[in-house]
Amino acid sequence: MHIIKLSFFVILFSHSSFVLGQNSLPVSARGDEILKKVDEVLSPGSVEFYRKLINVEPDGDKKEFVFYSVKKDRDKVAMLYLLPASDKGRATLRLGDNMWLYIPRVGKPIRITSMQSIVGGVFNNSDIMRLDYSVEYDVVKLDESGDSYVLDLKAKTRTVSYDSLKMWVIKKNNIVQKVECYAPSGKLIKTLEFTQVKDFGGGIVRPAVIETTSPLYRGYKSVMIYSDIKRKSLLDEVFTLDYLSRLGELR
Amino acid sequence: MSLFKRLIYYSLLIASPILWKTAEAQDYEFEIPAEEEAAKLEFNGNLDTKLGILQSNTTSPVYGLKFFGQDNPDYLSQNRLDFYLNGDYRYKQVGFTMRTFSQYTKEGPLELSFYELYGSLNLSPRLTFSVGKRRYNWGTGYAFNPVGYVNTEKDPENPDLALAGKSSVYLKYNRSFSSGFIQNLSLSTIVLPEVADILDKYSKFGDLSATVKLYVLTNNIDLDFMFFYGPDKTRRYGIDFSTNLLENIELHGEASYSNREELSVIQNGAVQINEVSGFSHLLGLRYLTAWNMTVIAEYYHNNNGLSRQEYQDYQAYLVNNLITGDADLINETRSVMTDSFRSKNLMRDYLYVKASLPEPFKWLYSSVSVFIIYNLNDNSFILSPQIGYEPFTNSEILLWPSFLFGKDDSEYGSKHFRKKFEIWFRFYF
Repeated sequence: MHIIKLSFFVILFSHSSFVLGQNSLPVSARGDEILKKVDEVLSPGSVEFYRKLINVEPDGDKKEFVFYSVKKDRDKVAMLYLLPASDKGRATLRLGDNMWLYIPRVGKPIRITSMQSIVGGVFNNSDIMRLDYSVEYDVVKLDESGDSYVLDLKAKTRTVSYDSLKMWVIKKNNIVQKVECYAPSGKLIKTLEFTQVKDFGGGIVRPAVIETTSPLYRGYKSVMIYSDIKRKSLLDEVFTLDYLSRLGELR
Repeated sequence: MSLFKRLIYYSLLIASPILWKTAEAQDYEFEIPAEEEAAKLEFNGNLDTKLGILQSNTTSPVYGLKFFGQDNPDYLSQNRLDFYLNGDYRYKQVGFTMRTFSQYTKEGPLELSFYELYGSLNLSPRLTFSVGKRRYNWGTGYAFNPVGYVNTEKDPENPDLALAGKSSVYLKYNRSFSSGFIQNLSLSTIVLPEVADILDKYSKFGDLSATVKLYVLTNNIDLDFMFFYGPDKTRRYGIDFSTNLLENIELHGEASYSNREELSVIQNGAVQINEVSGFSHLLGLRYLTAWNMTVIAEYYHNNNGLSRQEYQDYQAYLVNNLITGDADLINETRSVMTDSFRSKNLMRDYLYVKASLPEPFKWLYSSVSVFIIYNLNDNSFILSPQIGYEPFTNSEILLWPSFLFGKDDSEYGSKHFRKKFEIWFRFYF
């Protein structure tokens, strides 16, 4: 009996030492906690903001888009195309796993998939209409590297665009520095680098620029610049198909 | 006047300058309004320059009727400018929308069409009301919409083309739910007056159509339920859905039951209008391949379409009237073609498949696609590849050939052309 009890405690202890990290929290729980803080820094509550997307070709040619976006909770994003004129009035909506595109000429929203790219370049729909990371991913591994945490994330469902992510986060302020996106095969699809941390006011301090490169598009680069991030009270009905044609009323 | 009334009268008379001054003083007191939101007026649009070459199908009765008495070469060209100008005005809850279309083919008076022209009261994100000419696009199908009761019939060869709306009164209520079985729900009501066909100004009083649509987002599925009530006791009941099965597969479908729908057929050498009832339906998917190609595939059954035999009877009717050489009869036959057999989907069963690939060979801002519309009743079809390129911001070039295949009395084999090659230059502003 003593041997059984002893074995039990040995197993329990060895298991605990495996899963416990700093602050006596299991690694996954601590990682999830860090990930939620990352989300809070990147998307603090209900906000409106403007973004410029620049697709840079290998010869230096650029194509630019300007979007007006609103976000609420962790899984509601809507975006209106302001520039160029050829895309003006288009709007996209994301509610959790659901994503729609509204084209004024067509006059109705159509369901689209997160993997498509509606603007060309290296960013796809899910990059531009990104939900909180913690909505789509679980932390499966937490490491530390100097002043940064290194999180390995795994997609919660098959409908998520990337099977896994590797994320570098600054310890002192929970600001994400870099994210690598991987296919199920383990192949690197793209790298996002978060730079130029800026105080947008209202307690919102986050990177203002995201640069994206992909080994699949050598020589091409996409840059997303954030501007005028403001807290805004928004009804849930703003994030519906019916409101897509009226998003401009919020500006 | 009693003494009491006189006292009040004189008192008011004496006090009037004081009251006047008081009123004057009150007039100069006002609350400074908060800075008002400025009205917003925006214009945009595009110019499409289209150059086309058509190889005529000279053996087709449609060609013969269309170009009766003309001796044309086998190849015809067509050059035209399509100009779209859109305007939106918005001040607080009030909105005004205008979408215009005008086409230029040769010198002459330019006709401006209002595709949409309506005023709207956007009372809140939950409630919208509009009156005027407005375009609706019901249904989840890409090329066909059997539940599109208020749609202007789209051209399956170009489903994304801007189309004219309909005069209507529109009311929509929209509500989201943060938890529970239903995430979003909206109820739309549209009332459509009959087209003014009396002296082009009037219509019969009481000839109204009305539709109701209930939209529900539940368990990541878009669901619509529709009801249409039309003059002459036409009723239609419809349902559609759309959902993402996986991160790269979307499935959609529509089903509609109609009763007392009108169907024009040829019987004994004359047009006869039959009443038909039954189901039309569509099932489709949108699939994104691993190499970024989007495939849209749809099967459409049109209960209000012609059978193979009925279409052959229609073609025989056209041939018989054409060979008479009687100008009056030919004009009458042309009217029959445009009034009774004008649908883009005249027959019953179609298969539509489109594959599109953005940025082939990693050429950014270019795209290639090909679509086929296959008539399953007579095995005729149209095959049309497209190459698009956006050389500069707000400009687009489209190369668009089309090839038609089928027997002479089949739907696509009887069109007035066999091949078509178009180049579009599109400029946005």
